[in-house]
Amino acid sequence: MAARLALAGLGAALLAAPHALPAYHRSLALAILADVALAVSWAFFSGPTRYLSLATGAFFGAGAYTTAVVLARLPWPLPVLAAAAVAAVMALLVGTLALRLRGPYFAVFTFGLAELAKHTLIWYETSVTGTVGRLMLAPPGTITLYYTVLGVAALAVTTAVWLPRSRWGIALIGIGADEERAETLGIDTTRIKIGVFALSAAFMGAVGGAMAPRWTYLDPQVFNPLVSFQTVIMALLGGATTVIGPALGAVFLGLLSETLLVQFRYLYMLSLGLVLIVVVLLLPAGLSGLLRKRRA
Amino acid sequence: MTFSPTLLLDIVVGGLTTGGIYALVALGLNLQYGLMRVLNVAHGEFLMLGAYVTYSLHTGWGVNPLLTLLITGPTAFAVGLVLHRALYAPLLTGDAPEALESRSLLLSFGVMFVLQNAALLIWSADLKGYSYLAIPLHWLGTVFPANRVLAAAVALALGLAFYVYLRTSLTGKAVRALMQEPDGAQLVGIQSSRIHGLCFGAGIAMSAVTGSLVSMLFELTPFMGLPYTVTALVVVILGGLGNMLGCLLAGLLLGLVETAGVYLASSDIRLISSYAVLSLILVLKPSGLFGR
Repeated sequence: MAARLALAGLGAALLAAPHALPAYHRSLALAILADVALAVSWAFFSGPTRYLSLATGAFFGAGAYTTAVVLARLPWPLPVLAAAAVAAVMALLVGTLALRLRGPYFAVFTFGLAELAKHTLIWYETSVTGTVGRLMLAPPGTITLYYTVLGVAALAVTTAVWLPRSRWGIALIGIGADEERAETLGIDTTRIKIGVFALSAAFMGAVGGAMAPRWTYLDPQVFNPLVSFQTVIMALLGGATTVIGPALGAVFLGLLSETLLVQFRYLYMLSLGLVLIVVVLLLPAGLSGLLRKRRA
Repeated sequence: MTFSPTLLLDIVVGGLTTGGIYALVALGLNLQYGLMRVLNVAHGEFLMLGAYVTYSLHTGWGVNPLLTLLITGPTAFAVGLVLHRALYAPLLTGDAPEALESRSLLLSFGVMFVLQNAALLIWSADLKGYSYLAIPLHWLGTVFPANRVLAAAVALALGLAFYVYLRTSLTGKAVRALMQEPDGAQLVGIQSSRIHGLCFGAGIAMSAVTGSLVSMLFELTPFMGLPYTVTALVVVILGGLGNMLGCLLAGLLLGLVETAGVYLASSDIRLISSYAVLSLILVLKPSGLFGR
């Protein structure tokens, strides 16, 4: 009951936030919500299956670029749906190739994806369309973007809560524990892996698509491997096998980076590294694991 | 551009000099990754630090860049031993081996952040560089800077020497045994944590020494590490995890392919093709080009 009340309160606060907050804090909230959506959708695939995906930057970039291309032609929020669809199709292709690889090979393959996509796009844009970048005229306002990202984040959290209770979610855990055995037990591991991978990519693409208008000008540099790293760090920091963990990690890192990054950039990044090392060595289950231990 | 014997020679020599550097930095990564399954994304940062230390020693005290290898190598080895002892050994002996990969990856991200930003605080983000042995060498109608040939020759010599050491010494035998059969190797009395530490240190020393060599050729930035990490990863996968000779050959091969790409097409195509080659090999033959 208390949990439900807290959840309702949180929902109300999030809905009211853009009207109550000044512009700076509104964009901060927007950025953190986007991080939450990324971390949660990364974790509902990579958490149970233990496939360490570094493709987030690629899907985020694909979504953002899609919005930049179609924004002038489609009414909001259709560009976000298009962004999700493009990222999902990309994930289907990549997943078919890459999800046969286990362990570090999969991580390496997905790591290269953002760079590959970026350079392919640069090459395509310069040699075929003759431009390197897209200008977004008449982008939607911050409040519209806020509600769009809030919607994506809420959907991602709902999916992450629902998935472990479904047959697919249980199959995912089985894949993470022992893939061969799961297959022997009659689980169509390939179909489920690729399906959930594409679903998580769709959310990442939607986040990219919803955040793109904030930049007004977009070039292929939006395919940024740092997005992949940050997402992984947020999720693992919070605890990747839970729903609350990645969300917590995203809020924590988002606030930390916003408050410190501007003033002491290098010192902040340095201490972030130290925090990361300490967390990995001392908090193997992430922040949410610490909370659980405290409660038990 | 027409294809001529001179162009071919340009590509071959240019490719081999680039490839020699790739081979050494990749050999270091292969030692850590192939043996411990620790994907050390901070590997290139040690290259960056090695380059900066050489730069500082050369411009500050006038030390010959080649002699600085005697400082950067052993120092990096010691740092590697300490890092392994303090950070990676507790993980490797921990009770959750299944989460090891992601946790060690996260750990090396942390190390990467720390080193990169420490370098930014010490040396700033400005490009740094010096000129050493930038004499043109003329050979069969082509021209090469002497420092590139020297750097590649030293890198290849070190790589080969290490390979011979692995094949002939008792420690090398222990390393190979641990790579092939970790449990069996421990059963016959090989101390895995000691070998792990040595290999971690040696791997980082190779990266730092490569950095000292690279500092003779290119300008330095605190961000130069990651591209080398990626290249090293590509080489390690191409050559096969834990396969040292394959790693040396793959380094040279990648250098050749990249150089040919730069000469024959644009530099964008070069990156696309090297990732495409990597993806194909991962999917078709994950054991690497020279895998068993």
